Amino acid sequence: MLKDWFAGVKKGTSQEIIAEKYYTTAVKKYDAIIAGAGPAGATAAYFMAREGMDVLLLERGPYPGAKTCGGSSIIAEHVHKLFPNFWEELEYERLISHQAYWIMTEDDAIQIAYRSTRLSDAPYNRFSVRRVKLYEWLVKKATAAGATVRFNHHVSEILYEGNQAVGVRISKPQDCIYVANIIILADGANSLLAEKAGLSRRVSAHDLSLYAKETIALPAEVIEERFSLPAGHGAIIGLIGYPTAGFNGTASIHTFRTSININVGLAVADIAQAGITPHDLIDRLKAHQYIKPLIKDGITTEYGANVIPEGGYFSIPELVHPGSMIIGDAASLVNGVHGFSLAMWSGFFAAQAASKAKKHRDFSVKFLRLYQQLLDESFVMQDLRANAPQAKWLRDVPYFFDLYSRVANEAAYHITKVYTIPKKAKRHYIFKKITSMQPIGKMLKDAWSFLKVIR
Amino acid sequence: MNVDCKLKLLEFLPDGEFQHVRILDAELCRKCDAVLCLTLCPSAVFRWNYQHETEPPVLVYYRQCIECGACRLICPKNNIEFCYPNGGFGVTFKDGISVYLRPYTPPEMP
Repeated sequence: MLKDWFAGVKKGTSQEIIAEKYYTTAVKKYDAIIAGAGPAGATAAYFMAREGMDVLLLERGPYPGAKTCGGSSIIAEHVHKLFPNFWEELEYERLISHQAYWIMTEDDAIQIAYRSTRLSDAPYNRFSVRRVKLYEWLVKKATAAGATVRFNHHVSEILYEGNQAVGVRISKPQDCIYVANIIILADGANSLLAEKAGLSRRVSAHDLSLYAKETIALPAEVIEERFSLPAGHGAIIGLIGYPTAGFNGTASIHTFRTSININVGLAVADIAQAGITPHDLIDRLKAHQYIKPLIKDGITTEYGANVIPEGGYFSIPELVHPGSMIIGDAASLVNGVHGFSLAMWSGFFAAQAASKAKKHRDFSVKFLRLYQQLLDESFVMQDLRANAPQAKWLRDVPYFFDLYSRVANEAAYHITKVYTIPKKAKRHYIFKKITSMQPIGKMLKDAWSFLKVIR
Repeated sequence: MNVDCKLKLLEFLPDGEFQHVRILDAELCRKCDAVLCLTLCPSAVFRWNYQHETEPPVLVYYRQCIECGACRLICPKNNIEFCYPNGGFGVTFKDGISVYLRPYTPPEMP
């Protein structure tokens, strides 16, 4: 009797409620629940559904890509391996055949560009895509393979039995729970779910970059004329120095069929310290003399901001937990070169591990560990590991982008300008000018540390 | 173009019953000399209240939040609680599709 009374008092903890609901009523139990229908989540859903698993994909927005802004570039090599000949199905915007870096200061810019029509031959290199279209396509692939998708479902909490994840709670208006054998967290950078469940540490403000982005509409011919592109081709321009107002960070211009994206991103900690708002940073860049003509007469059609993890290897949390896995941005699996392709790969690897766990009917860490193994063996982790010190280096040399873009432009200015002094004296003069900005010893030290980090 | 005009380009479905970004203790903001939230927020959710003697010093316009979640990371006193809004609510990005389809007419030269 005392035992019954104790059980009655104890009832009310979430674990008890779920256990009761799950065992007494006929709640459908899925093989896997994926929180977040982004590139990682939708890819995982597709591959799991293809393996014959019963998958539920939950997305908090009303349609795929509702919570992400602007466009991006998709790397053909990666996506072709996961979704062969994807360019026949996906509505892409432009074939990128022009990639450039502009090292800028207020008055000048060194423009390093590479353009080649070889990049536009199959198998292609990069496409620019609008995120809404890309996510929609991925989710359609997943549903066609047999996954169930629910929009407007915000996963607020993971439910546990002991330390085994068994389900998720959906916040209002549905206010319900779903149960599954495997819970996959693909809820993006700043993963509140993983943090709440104690699966990852709170992300540091240094490891997360805030990108503000603006979409500017222009007719296709005007874009092709201004960037001197063949019809249907696109350009990606990375902007270094001036756009980030003295801090380390990047800005870029992406071209789409009838629009241009301009974005600026700095670490959250830096942007807070800078005392300049992200939208002012964008306006400041748009007013630059070399950017202004590119976007002249354009209509701003969208403004947005997003956070991207840039902590690199050391900010990757423990990825595999009993009954749950963390994939994509939530696991900080992104890098500057491969973009969200790494997120898609992590979704693919998680799907492999999940199907193996299902075959063995064991959802503990034992079989899910395969996800970690596949990731470690792939180039994904190798690249991230090689660039591991990068995030720390960016903090250690906070002046790098700003100072050296000034130094480079100063050197370029004096080299270009013709003086009425002998060649040898000019060389000496340029050397003096540059070393007055930064002592030669420090410059060499920074260059060495840079080389060590990018190797 | 100021930020309010930019935000007009987006669609919001605010949740009248649940405020997903909030300040936990207004008194801490009164003592805060950094107020990093005011400049960090890309959609100007946090605004200084000029009647701060009698009212909370930082106003939270959570209805125009674009859900990046950066604010919770920079508050020096850890005073901002951020979670994502309930399913279906909040901002939706349409990538300017509705505006895009309009035929382009270059402005006339004076």
